Parts: sequence; C-alpha cells; structure tokens
Amino acid sequence: MPGAVMSGEIPTIADAARLIATKEISPVELTRACLDRVHALDNRLHAFILLTEERALTEAHAAEAAIMAKRPIGPLHGIPIGLKDIVDTKGIRTTCQSRILAENVPQTDAACAEKLAAAGTILMGKTTTHEFADGGPSFDVPWPPARNPWNPDHFTAGSSSGTGAGIAAGLILGGIGTDTGGSIRGPAALCGIAGIKPTYGLVSRAGVAPAAFSLDHIGPMAWTAEDCALMLQPLAGHDPRDPASAKRPIPDYTALLGKGVGGLKIGVIHHFHEVDYSVSPATRRGIDVAIATFRDLGAEIREVRLSPLQDWGACGSLISIVERAAAYEEWARTRLGDFSERVQRRLMMGALVSGVDYVQAVRRRRELRAELHAAMADLDVVLTAAQPAEAAKIDAVPVWDTFAAPSFTMPFNVAGYPAISVCSGFGEGGLPVAIQLVGKPFQEPTVFRIADAFEKATEFRRRRPALALR
Amino acid sequence: MPSQISDAALDFLLARAGLSLTEAQKADLKSVYPGLADMAERVRQPRGRMAELAHVYEFAEEDL
Repeated sequence: MPGAVMSGEIPTIADAARLIATKEISPVELTRACLDRVHALDNRLHAFILLTEERALTEAHAAEAAIMAKRPIGPLHGIPIGLKDIVDTKGIRTTCQSRILAENVPQTDAACAEKLAAAGTILMGKTTTHEFADGGPSFDVPWPPARNPWNPDHFTAGSSSGTGAGIAAGLILGGIGTDTGGSIRGPAALCGIAGIKPTYGLVSRAGVAPAAFSLDHIGPMAWTAEDCALMLQPLAGHDPRDPASAKRPIPDYTALLGKGVGGLKIGVIHHFHEVDYSVSPATRRGIDVAIATFRDLGAEIREVRLSPLQDWGACGSLISIVERAAAYEEWARTRLGDFSERVQRRLMMGALVSGVDYVQAVRRRRELRAELHAAMADLDVVLTAAQPAEAAKIDAVPVWDTFAAPSFTMPFNVAGYPAISVCSGFGEGGLPVAIQLVGKPFQEPTVFRIADAFEKATEFRRRRPALALR
Repeated sequence: MPSQISDAALDFLLARAGLSLTEAQKADLKSVYPGLADMAERVRQPRGRMAELAHVYEFAEEDL
C-alpha cells in the first residue's frame, strides 16, 4: 500500500491512518500525493475555490514531526481534508462562492474547522460550493462550478459540490459538507462517495453561513462510511455557540463497524421511488441490490409507508425558502443583482410565501416527524434512494430545480434524522447511483454499521473515476 | 392560496418584501407561483386549531 499511495492508488482515511501509525507513509508524502492530483486534475474539476498549498505542507511537516516524536493523536492526524467555502476559516478567505463576500476573511474558525484542526487534519483548502449553499450550478459568479470526476461534462449536485468532487478524485481524503435539503447526500450520491447528514444539533453550526436555520446540518464526506465515522468523532459534541446544539453523550462512532447486520430490521420506503417519483433503472437496481444484500447478510426487510415524497418536499421547501429569505433579506433588498441568477430566484420566492404558509409548514413538520417516529418504532433504519438518477449534464440542470423533481433527501432534513448516502452501483454511462440509509436520532453508530456492511459486501468501493487513476 | 397571482398582487408582495425586480424577473417568478401554491396547499391538513408547531420550545436550565 505505501508504494501504491505514491504511485496513484488513493487510500481511505482508515487505510492512511494505519499506514501513518506504522510510519509506512508520512503526512508529507500523503499530502504531496494529494497535491499532485490537485495540480493534475483541478483545472478540469474546480473542486477548490482556494488551494492552501503552503499551509497544507507546513501542517503536514508539523504532523510528521509530531508523529515521529510520539504517535498520531488520532486517526485523522495527518489526513488531508477540504472545507466547504461557507465554513469560516481564520485568516483564510471565505467567500460563500459569492461576489458579495469575495474579500471576506474571517477572524475566527467555525467550530467544525477548529475541531478538525485539533484532530490533526491537514487543511488543503476551501472547496467549491453553490453560492451561499444554494442554487447551483452557477456560471455567473466569479468562480466556476465543480465538475463530476466520473465525467466532467456532468453535474456534481450540490451544494457541497467541491468536497464531493475532491474526495471522489482523491484530491482530499475527506471534507466538510453542509446539508439543508440534501447538500451533503446529493454530491455524495452523484460523485460516488459517502456522506452523512448527522442528527440535527449533533455537529455545531457555529461559524457556518446559514442557508435555512432549522434545516441546516454540518457533516463529514469521505470515500467510505467508515471514514465518515472517523471524521464525525471529533466533530460531534455540544457547543454553546449553536442554539440548536444537542447536549448528548458522544458514543464511539466506529464501535459497531464489522458487527454485521444479522437480526437488524430495515424498512424500505418503496412508494417513494416507485409511486411518488419513478427513479432511473440504475437507481432502482441499486436499491434492489441493497435489499438483496441486507437480506443475505441476515437483516429483516420490511415495508414502510409514509406521506408522499411531495408532502415532505413542500414542507421543507417552504421552510427553506422563508428562512433563507429572512437570513439574506438585507442583501436581497440592497444588492440583489450581486447574487447569481439562481440565488436571486430563490430569494425572490420568499416574497410569495406568507407568514401563515410558513407556520402551516412548521405545523406540518411536527406531524411528519411524528409519522417517521412511529414508522421507525420497530426498525433500525429505513432505506430509500439518495438521488432519483445519475448526474445530469451540468448545463441541463433546471433553473427552477425546486419544482423539477421531489427531493429524496429533504424528508430527513424536515425530520432532523441522521441519513447517509452510499454508492450502490453505476448507470450505463458509468456515473454512480446511491442509496440512503436513515437512522433514529443520535443513532449514527447503527447507520454506520449498516452502511459499512453494505460497502464491504459489495464491489462499489473498488472503483474510482478513471481520470483520478491516470 | 389561489393557484395564480395577478400582476397587482405580485407587485404588492414584492414591494412589501423590498425587492426591485425587472419585468423579466417578475414574469419568471410568476411562472412558478402555481408550484408554490401547491406546496402551500400540501402543508395544510385538517388538523384543528390546537395543533402545535415543530418549533415550540422549553426553557433549559441555562435560560433561567
């Protein structure tokens, strides 16, 4: 493996951590391998809005010295990562991909940036996002949108687009995404990686630009579910700077990995992908593979019925539209033309949703959450699609995508439940598809257990985008 | 929420929101009004006046 890392094979975080711990590779070698891929590929992928190469090498040398003197402080010590560019970074430009904040340099780190730095990660740079985590891909902001490593003519989904593209191509081994309606799980799905939206309140939102306060989640993205578990460990925990931050004991997120799924109960929401919105054949096949795999591994599969996908989408969209319009009202009134056309459209919609509409949506949210709670009473997770199909061409994404197709991810922002996207196969064009596994609140260890079992029972983690291996 | 919106009503709502849009933007926005109306209809259920919001709260120890 050490030679393979240097010659182009991309390790997982777990693999890299083992090799660093045994001193078979150094953080400097690992960082240089990632930088080599950045220099070779990012002029096509645009995963980074800002590469912090000098800082990365300085941090890698410091990590190397510390590890040689003692041992790694944990499995993330010396691991190259990226932070979505709506995450504040002290002394490093944080633009939110918007000309409005083009020169913004925060004076403090966001909580998640601070925690990952304390865990010993190497910051490679700020990753591309959709403007203010909304409404991409946009070609009318000063920086280009990220491209899908499996085929750069195609979309990555968003808004954590650069983190998704960067991990799939091996420019970074992990990174931070944020998720208001699917912005971690969408890019994870379309870029063929893993990404978890943790339970609402588990990871502090402090220092991260808001999209919609009551729907916003911060979470890790990486090549595997195991890597996401390793990343979530230092990220989770109470933070008084975030009024939604949960006060909960933090478990070992890797504790259940390798325990298998025998005896676990998995509910499948068939009507989401068969009746409410018909998914692509490859997506359907991925769900069927997952069901068969879990059954073979000894899990019990059950049928789950919930309100239609469109009801969840309506609830989440109305809340999202209004909370976003409130957060950005001042700039919408005074600098609307400085936003991309896509974000202008999102902000304009805020004028058309009344206060009563918003409250009805928030009342509906309580009912929908209660419905999911009841449906999962005797289940460990539920399974659905993560996206309805493979990635579209980047120039074919509808400008009013809110109305184009119902979101398979938004229901779990509405509920606040933890949900992970993991690769479940590939379509005819070689683009990935993904399933979504949803756990009960704060049951991330069970979500990781089941997602990890699926990844290890299938072959999908053995395939990387061809351009990353040249 | 009606499924269509008049130009006058749209102008009123935009003025109240403090947004200055071009005629093209207004037409664009008007085109998605039926979609928003459908969403507003979907979140209305026969729930009665006592149904609570998801965002109600309780005082925690540190609030006291």
